Amino acid sequence: MNECYGCNTCKSADKPLEEFIAGLPMETSHHRVDSQSTKCGFGLQGVCCRLCANGPCRITPKSPRGICGANADTIVVRNLLRAVASGSGCYIHVVENTALNVKNIAQTKGEIKGVETLDRLASIFGIEEADVHKRAEAVADAVLKDLYKPEYEKMELTEKLSYGPRYEKWKELGILPGGAKSEVFHGVVKCSTNLNSDPVNMLLDCLKLGISTGIHGLVLTNLLNDVVLGEPEIRTAPVGLRVIDPDYINIMITGHQHSMFTFLQDRLTDDDVKEKAKKAGAKGFKLVGCTCVGQDLQLRGAHYTEVFDGHAGNNYTSEAILATGGIDAVISEFNCTLPGIEPICDELKIKQICIDNVAKKANAELKEFDFENRPAVTDEIIDEVIEAYSARRGSVPMNLMKDHGYANTLTGVSEVSLKKFLGGNWKPLIDLIVSGDIKGVAGVVGCSNLTAGGHDVLTVDLVKELIAKDIIVLTAGCSSGGIENCGLMEPEAAKLAGPKLRAVCEKLGIPPVLNFGPCLAIGRLEIVATELAEALNVDLPQLPLVLSAAQWLEEQALADGCYGLALGLPLHLGLPPFVTGSPVAVQVLTEDMKKLTGGQVIINADAKESADILEKIIEEKRQGLNI
Amino acid sequence: MKRIIIDYQKCDGCKSCSVACMQAHRETEGTVYDLDLTDPHNESRNRILKDADGQYKPLFCRHCDDPKCVESCMSGALHKDPESGHVFYDETRCGSCFMCVMNCPYGVLKPDTVSKTKVIKCDFCVNAGGEPSCVAACPKQAIYVEEV
Amino acid sequence: MKYVIIGAGVAGIEAAKTIRQKDSAGEIRMISKDADVHSRCMLHKFIAGERDEKGLDFTEEDFFQKHKIDWMKGVQVTEVHPDAKEITLDSGEKISYDKLLLAGGADSFIPPVGELRKATNVYGLRNLSDAQAIVKEAEQAENVLIIGSGLVGLDAAYGLLERGKKITIVEMVDRILPVQLDKHAACAYQALFEKAGVRFVLGRKASEAVCEADGKIHKVTLDNGKEIPCDLLIVAAGVRSAIACLEGSGIECDRGVTVDAHLKTSKDDVYAAGDITGLSGIWPNAANQGKIAGANMCGGSEEYNDTYAIKNTINFFGLVTLCVGRILEEKGDQIQIKEDKTQYKRVILKDGKVQGILLQGDISHAGTWQYLIKNQIDISKIQKDIFHVNFADFYQIDENGEYRWAEN
Repeated sequence: MNECYGCNTCKSADKPLEEFIAGLPMETSHHRVDSQSTKCGFGLQGVCCRLCANGPCRITPKSPRGICGANADTIVVRNLLRAVASGSGCYIHVVENTALNVKNIAQTKGEIKGVETLDRLASIFGIEEADVHKRAEAVADAVLKDLYKPEYEKMELTEKLSYGPRYEKWKELGILPGGAKSEVFHGVVKCSTNLNSDPVNMLLDCLKLGISTGIHGLVLTNLLNDVVLGEPEIRTAPVGLRVIDPDYINIMITGHQHSMFTFLQDRLTDDDVKEKAKKAGAKGFKLVGCTCVGQDLQLRGAHYTEVFDGHAGNNYTSEAILATGGIDAVISEFNCTLPGIEPICDELKIKQICIDNVAKKANAELKEFDFENRPAVTDEIIDEVIEAYSARRGSVPMNLMKDHGYANTLTGVSEVSLKKFLGGNWKPLIDLIVSGDIKGVAGVVGCSNLTAGGHDVLTVDLVKELIAKDIIVLTAGCSSGGIENCGLMEPEAAKLAGPKLRAVCEKLGIPPVLNFGPCLAIGRLEIVATELAEALNVDLPQLPLVLSAAQWLEEQALADGCYGLALGLPLHLGLPPFVTGSPVAVQVLTEDMKKLTGGQVIINADAKESADILEKIIEEKRQGLNI
Repeated sequence: MKRIIIDYQKCDGCKSCSVACMQAHRETEGTVYDLDLTDPHNESRNRILKDADGQYKPLFCRHCDDPKCVESCMSGALHKDPESGHVFYDETRCGSCFMCVMNCPYGVLKPDTVSKTKVIKCDFCVNAGGEPSCVAACPKQAIYVEEV
Repeated sequence: MKYVIIGAGVAGIEAAKTIRQKDSAGEIRMISKDADVHSRCMLHKFIAGERDEKGLDFTEEDFFQKHKIDWMKGVQVTEVHPDAKEITLDSGEKISYDKLLLAGGADSFIPPVGELRKATNVYGLRNLSDAQAIVKEAEQAENVLIIGSGLVGLDAAYGLLERGKKITIVEMVDRILPVQLDKHAACAYQALFEKAGVRFVLGRKASEAVCEADGKIHKVTLDNGKEIPCDLLIVAAGVRSAIACLEGSGIECDRGVTVDAHLKTSKDDVYAAGDITGLSGIWPNAANQGKIAGANMCGGSEEYNDTYAIKNTINFFGLVTLCVGRILEEKGDQIQIKEDKTQYKRVILKDGKVQGILLQGDISHAGTWQYLIKNQIDISKIQKDIFHVNFADFYQIDENGEYRWAEN
């Protein structure tokens, strides 16, 4: 007998991590996959309804309708719309806080690190302000104004930020969104008890929420953060558990709101704070990246080389990161902060602090981000982290994994940095696509889950299959964290690509998988796609471009997915989004969508089959473009 | 023999066992995701009863030591396998008289809904290696296999 | 030990199986008139041409070899001599035994109406040989007259419909299946048979039938004077225990062979099971009797106490019905009926106990009714719609995982 908590951990694409987790003395999500392997069939199909006291009602041969009379289509799509509205709400919350941060920084004449981005936004929005801070404030106000519009008033920035042919298509379908917050409200109302029962009507709402989520929640969050926190710059960086340096006081960050760390991340490298750390026996402070906010920091890492050690892993690596013993505190502000880290934090005396109450963890201290009092609150946080460091170091065993991960992972890729890398325009990439050296582009985005084959298993296998077919992969989200920890974002990974793509990568010294960072950066991928379409003078659905959220996890991913469908892109999912109980939902999402927006949902849990399907779509699109 | 033991107090009534049974005995290919839950051809061999107090009482074929269904079978379609002890049903021999339905003292059996020509009877998932799908699907371990 | 079993119906077969389980070395001999082991409940399928002789066999493959049974088929027993412990066959051969089981079943009863018993085109439907003869006769027959609309009469009609015959059924009472069903449920079957082409003459008896020159009856006169032409007659007017061979044996008989609780006859080492006892005419009871008699022939002392026999299931044209217990209403009865487009349910309650159940259309999971009725379980305290009372309300589990009904 040994000390392992349990030997039934799930598989991971990251084999060293799998072994590490299997050997841990504490329970993790990877252990729980087995005991949760029994799934309720009604839930899987989305045909369980608990919207009223008559429920839960479930669809069976003997009960094809709920007590109220709702059939499988109504129940399924109502559930889906709820999920999409909720997911959209999450992203809109993020962009709201981000815009407020820009506004606060502007009003207090704080540092504007991304003037280029600010000017780009001002130009798109039609803002002419000479003063950089006034310009930033006006940009933030324009975003906030849109977010707060009522549902019956269309948002103004949608047209400005979307590709013309797409905008016309959305207008034609009647899915131009009103105020983004109001759209969430509208969606939630619509799917409440005994309101809407029309599955197609509700699916159109999902698309509408997809648009507001995509343009405001995704695209603008990235750009507003670039304004304050700095623009991504291409570079290489270490990834994996190796980034944890026990000589420092280590703070693991989780969430999606980089803006909330604006002040803290700078403060940690101030001399007086470093002095405090040294007094406690450490060399200083380090932020250890985890989940999407870690990806954000990695993406902008060129600006934070001193305080940021690197990205350690994605959401389902978080427990392992903590289990190394090298982390002294967790500061979280949004989701993908698993409840399962709580007992581990307790056991290893890791201080948990939440800075946004929407993500308050049960055993964490809530220290809400307060712009006005930021110096005092930040210093309080720093003192508490030091206290935790002092209390735990020496008494908590270290279980570091210094060889885990990779040393030279390419990061800092954005719609701007990539174009710059290519010489200032997309022509080199378009030429490679036209010549067939790059067969097509696949955005492998979204989360990580443990059920599609295991931790990142489907994602990583799919990426390997795609690059072997000379399809370049662009990533965004927790999928990035998994893929990079498996080495596919090192330039050496070029040898795993098909001969043509390999040659391209080797010539340019890049990996065949380019990491755009957090799930928010799906918005950046969309900008790349739009600019490519513009350069070719075609609409988005005509591009040899596919999306895969192979291991989508949560409601936000469903809102992202709806954006992809609104854009008219083929969207692969490893597991169905709890809709297969509805023939109408399945028909609309997988078939009719092609006629509506040009998009389609493809559900397949097999990496090889999925890659074959996506390749076939890319080839059809190439034929359509006569290339 | 192996029997599915029932710890009824653990039952949550989620009917995962029923879905698993339907999936295990479906006539078409596919996964539980595309199992047509509205197709009456898909019938569960087990079901979850509720007593007057609302307590769930799972009803699963016991493969009885003295099976009354076999005793009532006038075609030879039902027989108790001397090796495994399980009561198996041969659809091709069945005379569709449904005396077995009448004779099961616990009300486990039923005629098939669509054709009324065969009996819906637990086969202990013998074609899937004898590991009952219902047991594998139970999230509460309210049912488990034991040698008795 | 030498075991002799007369009859190869379910009682005889079950007895032989049980004996072989308990006595692996004993000599078992079965003697049957039937040349094929067959399930008489499926004779209609043979008549319809759906199954051949082999398809009626309810035993497992190589049953006699597997159980080391010496089966003398197509042989009739003419005399039984309990004192000498031997029996005489129609060939004159004498066979000795240590333990004897009488399981020769019953024979169709042809009522003494006109010349029904004399005619060559009048059949009962009891054995495979009857069905074989009917099929043969039907080759030349066009009009079939069936006397009696019980399960056997309808079985015959069901089978012959498949052969395209014109069928008339004469029934004494005013509805079909009078023993099993109430009028409402009976009408449902009547309609289905009529739709398939069967003509019913209800509330009438055959009063005259005369053989013509060819030895056959070509018309039957009813008690209202009406004549019904026919080329083939099937009489489904009940059965009589096959006790002719016991004459002079000293074995006590009433309507059937008299047995005690252990299914032993009045003579030592002679047992009886199945229809020959007249205890019940249904399959599961015969099977159970066979098992118990077999066990007792091997020295056991098991009692036959699951005697409840007022039960049946019916399945014609995909319409299934289950009926257990009393069907006719009596004073003090409380009757509850539920009906929709797919089913008809009728329960008779008296003093909180179920006296009879009739389920038509959906008999799913209906096995519990028999238990409730035969054990006269008081359900008055169960706060449920009576049709929702089920085993959950009596749910007990034994240590070995088997279910058990809670004490009443």
